[in-house]
Amino acid sequence: MFDAIFEFFFKYRPLMFEQGDFAFRASWIGGLGVLAAIAAGVVTWRSYTQVRGNSQPIDRLALTVVRLAAFALLAFCLMQPVLILSSVVPQQNFLGVLIDESRSMRIADTEETPRLQFVQEQLASTDAPLRAALNERFSLRFFGFNNETNRLDVVNELTYDGTRTHVGQALERAHDELSDVPLSGLVVVTDGADNAPAGLAESLLPVQAAGVPVFTVGLGREEFDRDIQLGRVETPRRVLRGASLVTDVVVTHRGYEGETVSVQVEDEGRIVGSEDVVLGDEDELQTVRLRFTAAEEGPRLFTFRVTPQPGEMVTQNNVRDSLIVVDDRREKILYFEGEPRFEVKFLRRAVEDDENLQVVILQRTAENKFMRFNVDGPDDLVGGFPTTRGELYNYSGLILGSIEANYFTPDQLRMIADFVNHRGGGVLMLGGRRAFAEGGYAGTPVADVLPVVLAGEGGDGDESFFTEIAVETTRAGATHVATQIADTEEASAARWRELPPITVVNPITEVKPGATTLLTGPGGDLVLLAFQRYGAGKALAFPVQDSWTWQMHADIEVDDMTHETYWRRLLRWLVDGVPDQVTIDLPTDRVQPEETVEILASVGDANFEELNNSLVMASVTHPDGNFTDLPMEWTAQRDGEYRASFTTGAEGFYEVRVEAMLGDELLGEDVAYVQVAPSDAEFYDSTMRAPLLERMAEETGGRFYTPATVGTLADDIQYVGGGVTVVEELDLWDMPALLLLLTALVLGEWGFRRFRGLA
Amino acid sequence: MGPSSVARIAVVVPALIVAAVAVHPRGSAPASQPPAPAAESSAAAPHGAADEDLHAEQRGGQPFDPRDLLRRGRGTMRSPAGPHEFYFTRAIYSSGWGYSRWAIDFPKADRQFMTVVNRLIDIDGSPYENAIRLDDPNIRKFPFLYALEVGDIALSRAEIEGLRNYLLAGGFLVIDDFWGSWQWAAFEQQIRQVFPEHPIIEVPIEHPVFNAVYRIDEIMQVPAIGNFYGGRTWEQDGYEAHVRGIFDEKGRLMVLINWNTDLGDAWEWAERPEYPLRFSTFAVEMGINFIVYAMSH
Repeated sequence: MFDAIFEFFFKYRPLMFEQGDFAFRASWIGGLGVLAAIAAGVVTWRSYTQVRGNSQPIDRLALTVVRLAAFALLAFCLMQPVLILSSVVPQQNFLGVLIDESRSMRIADTEETPRLQFVQEQLASTDAPLRAALNERFSLRFFGFNNETNRLDVVNELTYDGTRTHVGQALERAHDELSDVPLSGLVVVTDGADNAPAGLAESLLPVQAAGVPVFTVGLGREEFDRDIQLGRVETPRRVLRGASLVTDVVVTHRGYEGETVSVQVEDEGRIVGSEDVVLGDEDELQTVRLRFTAAEEGPRLFTFRVTPQPGEMVTQNNVRDSLIVVDDRREKILYFEGEPRFEVKFLRRAVEDDENLQVVILQRTAENKFMRFNVDGPDDLVGGFPTTRGELYNYSGLILGSIEANYFTPDQLRMIADFVNHRGGGVLMLGGRRAFAEGGYAGTPVADVLPVVLAGEGGDGDESFFTEIAVETTRAGATHVATQIADTEEASAARWRELPPITVVNPITEVKPGATTLLTGPGGDLVLLAFQRYGAGKALAFPVQDSWTWQMHADIEVDDMTHETYWRRLLRWLVDGVPDQVTIDLPTDRVQPEETVEILASVGDANFEELNNSLVMASVTHPDGNFTDLPMEWTAQRDGEYRASFTTGAEGFYEVRVEAMLGDELLGEDVAYVQVAPSDAEFYDSTMRAPLLERMAEETGGRFYTPATVGTLADDIQYVGGGVTVVEELDLWDMPALLLLLTALVLGEWGFRRFRGLA
Repeated sequence: MGPSSVARIAVVVPALIVAAVAVHPRGSAPASQPPAPAAESSAAAPHGAADEDLHAEQRGGQPFDPRDLLRRGRGTMRSPAGPHEFYFTRAIYSSGWGYSRWAIDFPKADRQFMTVVNRLIDIDGSPYENAIRLDDPNIRKFPFLYALEVGDIALSRAEIEGLRNYLLAGGFLVIDDFWGSWQWAAFEQQIRQVFPEHPIIEVPIEHPVFNAVYRIDEIMQVPAIGNFYGGRTWEQDGYEAHVRGIFDEKGRLMVLINWNTDLGDAWEWAERPEYPLRFSTFAVEMGINFIVYAMSH
């Protein structure tokens, strides 16, 4: 509208004024005219200063100004002002037209017509309006793009089934292809839902450098009226079978404020978790916490879903998939207890039915006398606590009970710290008369690892301390997976409040910076459960000496499972993510067909020292059962890191198995999975992204259009585009605005005289 | 007798002599310390010093009659709250003869035994006796329970329920000092009410309970001191000692029954020169095995 009004008054559209240079084309006749106008102006000034009549000085001043302005305007016109513009030579230049053929072009968000309708109507046939207008001036070259870019002979061939939109790559490809011909510009017809892994700026650089303007045509709406979208879902890639998972799902919406929707999680079609949520304000990020159990072994595709609501514009963005590898293996945890304690008995009972946890217990009963439980062989731990890293690193987790620091040699204390820091294991210290500061740990390497501050550095702590207190969850503890002792967050918090009090002999009141407190005593004075990440692993402090009270107390029903649930979840979390000697690291676990998958693997020896000279092989099993063996090479960028890659074919799960050997010794193996499937990324954040398209146009000297404004595209390119051009001079003296101004000045003078009684 | 047994004796005997002098100067049975008044027993005693006060009062009080505990409806002799990891806890149960026999050997056997236990293994054990009724909810604070002279046990409904829940929750009960077939029959009839679904079976000598700390190769019949003076190790028709057990559905030992043997007397009279050391040593080893097993299995 603005452009049309501007053109009515100024004869040309604003773009032409922006592009053109202003100049005068005055001849000698024009110069004479200007001199005549100046002379007339002087006469006017003289006559108004000398003639008095019944006029006031202010009247004479006003009339003089108006009359002089009219003469000045006349002189301006006599100077013949012009706009000097470069104009492309018709039919001597090429224009690249890039059409988005991704799936988001099917979204019908404008008067129930899909975005691709614009292409059908404006570009598909030779007599389509936009195509015809462009065709008059340029030789057109069409490209279709999604995650790759192809030349199009027939626009109607577009299938709109692309699963990604890589605008930058499309620009580079089209520019490369048309680099040898006079190119006026590139027209990009898209909804702007770019989901390329790399940024756009890099792709724009060569186009900018070549001075090729990009004209973007944005399709679709910048905001949906009614839509619900699930944000990215973060789940662990790998868990033990039977693991309880707590996953936050972010829900956004437009148009459903106050309505209740159900967010569900399915394990390959079976609903395993559900949570109702009342939708809040529009565009507000709303977090929904889902609890579910990974019950089935293998690569499992968990689907998070919001049931489509009536009137939703896009329903494909109500769903998110997440691949979780559910391991049915036993994680070994060593529990070293320094004295006979009931905690041993009840902890053993709590986890004995958990097939994925093997809690090996080494319990000192008297000086140099030990009991061993759940060991793998008769020689395991026969000499007491491990004395070598290889022996200790055989475990994923370590629980230290009431065992004094002096029991360990300095090297063993360092070894325990390295177990967390270097090996990546999880360590948990329990409360007891010989634990924490009371056990003499202050100032030892183990104290560095622990998430709590030990009082009495260099001393033995407060050995007289004893208290019986109830347990409270902190804000973090109320939601943390390790402290979920019931099915829902509310039920878990209520259960914690109901549990009978426990006793504490280790007065710990402070956690280290970066540590997280999950359980406290009343009012938060005493820390009862805290953790921190330390190096490659994590460390927990649980300064409670009789959690068995939660099993034995008279207030607890004999069939109550709270104690079991607590210990199983805590210990599972303790060893969650603990690496093996050979560990696969896939940068992504979901790719599209024909994409290349990079496999990275970390390899270490029994002491978890990185090895760069091992023989590492990856075996990829395809969905059809065929497999490919790939030798892996040391990356030379990081010690112990090996790399290989393969290209996917058909859709399905690909099993990647990596085996590492050192000489004849098998160091270990690991298995990971990759899901190959078309991406749904096109349907997330699928509104038209005008800012991105405007930026592309602005940075290259082009313009941004919508279907409503695209009518001027052909004309605009004529003056904005590059290629073979000629210089045009466009007259400005005959602009309607000048005539109107001159008329206004003459009529204004006449009206002023009438108004002041001077005529 | 191996070197380890000699070493044990070197520890046990002096300890028992010291404990016996401190606990039971006159050596009479049953134990003669008076109980603390009920109000005091339930008072909070968060530190070990409370135990000292409690028992100092006991020593200076009235002659002890165990039935007083039942008559007063008294539960625990010590506060359930305390700093010790282990309390040697006696079960107070109802008897059918009108005379409560739960306190036989009490508290001298308990104290002497705990004195030795604290010396022989690295345990944080209360050196004093502890007794609690089967129907007291606080029983669930003590996962180890000892009962003896159960030949006339006559459990009330509340006691049956209390004991059953205690054991199902994870408690461990050691039975001792009852003899002969008719006492067995009486006891069996009572314990069947607690666990009608679980049979009583002989615990094989290979069971871990016999190897928890000390290796037990055979079940020795330990005589009460009076019978030993009479020249025999048996009572009634209990000529052979047995260790039997009740296991839960997962095969975990809940009740350990020492029949035709009297470990408690061996603890109580271990300091007597005339009481054979082999009996006391065996009884201490068995008792320690029971405790450590109960705390770890």
